[in-house]
Amino acid sequence: MNNLLLEVNDVAVTFGGVRAVNGATLDVAVGSVTSVIGPNGAGKTTLFNLISGAIKPTSGRILFEGLEIQNLPPHKIAERGIIRTFQGAKVIKRLSVLENLMLGGQNNPGDNLIGFFSPRTRKAYEDQARDRAMELLQQIGIERFAQDYAGILSGGQRKLLDLARALMANPTMLLLDEPFAGVNPTLVEKLLEVLDALRTKHHLTFLLIEHDLETVMNISDRVIVMAEGRVIADGQPNSIYQNQAVVDAYLGTRKQSS
Amino acid sequence: MTAIMQPGFWVFILTMAGIYGIFSLGLQVQYGVGGILNFGHVGMMALSSYTMAILVISHGINFWIAAASGVAVAALGGAFLGLTTLRLRGDYFSIVSIAFSEIVRYVIYNSDNLTGGVQGSLAIPVIGDNYPSYTDTWDSLVNHIRDFLQPRLGDYVDRDFVMGVLVWITLAILLLLVSRIEKTSWARVLRATREDDDVPAALGKNVFRFRLQAVIIGSIIGGIAGIYWGLESTLLSPDDFLTLVTFYGWMILILGGATKVKGLPIAAIFFGFLYGGTRFFTFWPFSIIDSSQRAYIRIMIIGFALIVLMMRRPQGIFGKRQEMVLE
Repeated sequence: MNNLLLEVNDVAVTFGGVRAVNGATLDVAVGSVTSVIGPNGAGKTTLFNLISGAIKPTSGRILFEGLEIQNLPPHKIAERGIIRTFQGAKVIKRLSVLENLMLGGQNNPGDNLIGFFSPRTRKAYEDQARDRAMELLQQIGIERFAQDYAGILSGGQRKLLDLARALMANPTMLLLDEPFAGVNPTLVEKLLEVLDALRTKHHLTFLLIEHDLETVMNISDRVIVMAEGRVIADGQPNSIYQNQAVVDAYLGTRKQSS
Repeated sequence: MTAIMQPGFWVFILTMAGIYGIFSLGLQVQYGVGGILNFGHVGMMALSSYTMAILVISHGINFWIAAASGVAVAALGGAFLGLTTLRLRGDYFSIVSIAFSEIVRYVIYNSDNLTGGVQGSLAIPVIGDNYPSYTDTWDSLVNHIRDFLQPRLGDYVDRDFVMGVLVWITLAILLLLVSRIEKTSWARVLRATREDDDVPAALGKNVFRFRLQAVIIGSIIGGIAGIYWGLESTLLSPDDFLTLVTFYGWMILILGGATKVKGLPIAAIFFGFLYGGTRFFTFWPFSIIDSSQRAYIRIMIIGFALIVLMMRRPQGIFGKRQEMVLE
C-alpha cells in the first residue's frame, strides 16, 4: 500500500441537512491519472473542496503521503504539494497574466515581510520565477498576453492559465476540476498534450473531475464514479463502461426488470 | 480676505495636507493593495497621539521614545482590530472597524484621569510641576532647524514652515517605502486577495496573515500621522478623531487613485486646498449666506467636486482605469 499518494477514508460532510459527500472512500496511486466522474450534484466538487481543505469533513479521514490532512487549512495543504484548479477556471482578473502565474511560486522570500530587507534574495527568486512563468506561458501558447490583465483572456485561455499557475507551484499532485468543460476540441488536444508531458516527464499525479466518461476514457488509469455523495464504482475505464450501477446513475434506474 | 494672502496660511494648509497624506497612505496599503475597507483608521491616529502625549506629560518619558511607543500602540491596535475581525468578510469588517475607532474615541472621552477626557490633552495629569505639553522636545528641534535655515533661505522660514517641510519629508520617505513594498511578491499576493481568497489559498498563501500584515503596516503609517497631528495641533481633543477624519483620508485615497501611490500627494494637496481654500468663498453668491452656514456649503462643494471627479475619472488622478473596472 506504499504507492498510495492520497487516501480518502469514509469522508462525509453535511451542509445543513444535506449530505453532499456521504461516506466516500477512494485512493489515488502515485503517478496515476485518476478521474472522478458523476452526474451533477454527485459531490465531485465537494470532494475536491474536502481534499484541498476549503471545507472540513464532518467525519472521516484524508491522508496525503500517509499523513492526515483533513484538518489543515487550504494553504497548508497546498504547501504539502496538493494544488488544485477551479471549476470554470479562476484567474485574478486585475493582475497581469504573468503576475497570475507568479502567484504560484512557493516559498517566495518576497512573500514574507522579513524578505523585504533582503532585496537580493528576493530579486533572484523573482527572476527565476519569471523565467519559469514565461516558459510555461510559451508552452500553453499565451505568452503574448503576459503583460495584459488576466481579465481580458477568453474562457479557454483562463483554463490554461489556471493550469499553468498550478504547475508553477511544483505540485506533487494536481486536482483538476473539469479541465475540459467548455474548452474547444483543439484546446482539449493541447491540454491533453500538456498533461501527458507532465505525467511522463515530471511524474505528477492527477486527480480530475469530469462530467462524462468519454472525455477521460483515454487518459485515465482509473475512473471513480460518484453519485449522491458516494463512490458507486471504481476501476479501469473499460470496466466502468460495463458497470450497471454507473448506467443507472447516469440514465436512471430502469423500471422494467430484464 | 487677508488670510488668503498670507503665506503662513498656505503653509498651514500644506502641512495639514501632508499629515492627511500620511494618514491616507496607511489606507492605501490596506485598500489599494489588499482591498481591505478600513473605516476605523482614525482610531490608530488617536491611539498614537494620545499614547505619546500621556507618556510625555504623565510619565515624563523622553519624547522620541514616547512617539515610537505611540506608533507601536497604533500597530498593536491594528493587530487587535485585524485578529478579532479580519476573518469577517469585506463589508462586515468595515462596519466593525468603524466601531473600533469609535470605541477608542469614547474611551478617550471618558478616561478623565488618563486622557483628560472632554477637556483634551490639557487636562492630562502632569508629574511634578510640569506643564501639560508634549511638544517641547519637538519644538526645540524645529527651532534649531529654523535657526539653521533662516539665514540661508530667508525670513519666510519660520516654525510652521519647518514643520511643513518635515511632514513632507516624512511623507516622501513613506511613499518611497510603500512603493517599494508594493513591488514585492507580498503585495502581489495581497492584490490577488482583493478579488479572491480561494486562489491564493490554493496556492499555499495564508491569506489571513497577508491581510493582517497589511492592516498592521497601514496602522503604523496611520500612527505616524497621529504623531504629526498631535505636534501640529499642540493639544489633543477626543473630537479630533471623529470618523469623518477617516473619510477625509478615504477621499484623498480615491482622488489619487487607490491603486497607485503616486497620485496620493497630489490628491492630498488638492484636498487641502478644497478643504482650506473653500473657506474663502466669501464672495457673491456665497456672501448671501451667513458664515456659519457657509461652512456647510464648503463641505457640499467638496462633495460635489468629488462626485464630478469620480464620474469623469473613477480611477482617480493617476489610477489605471482598467484595474478599477475590469470584470
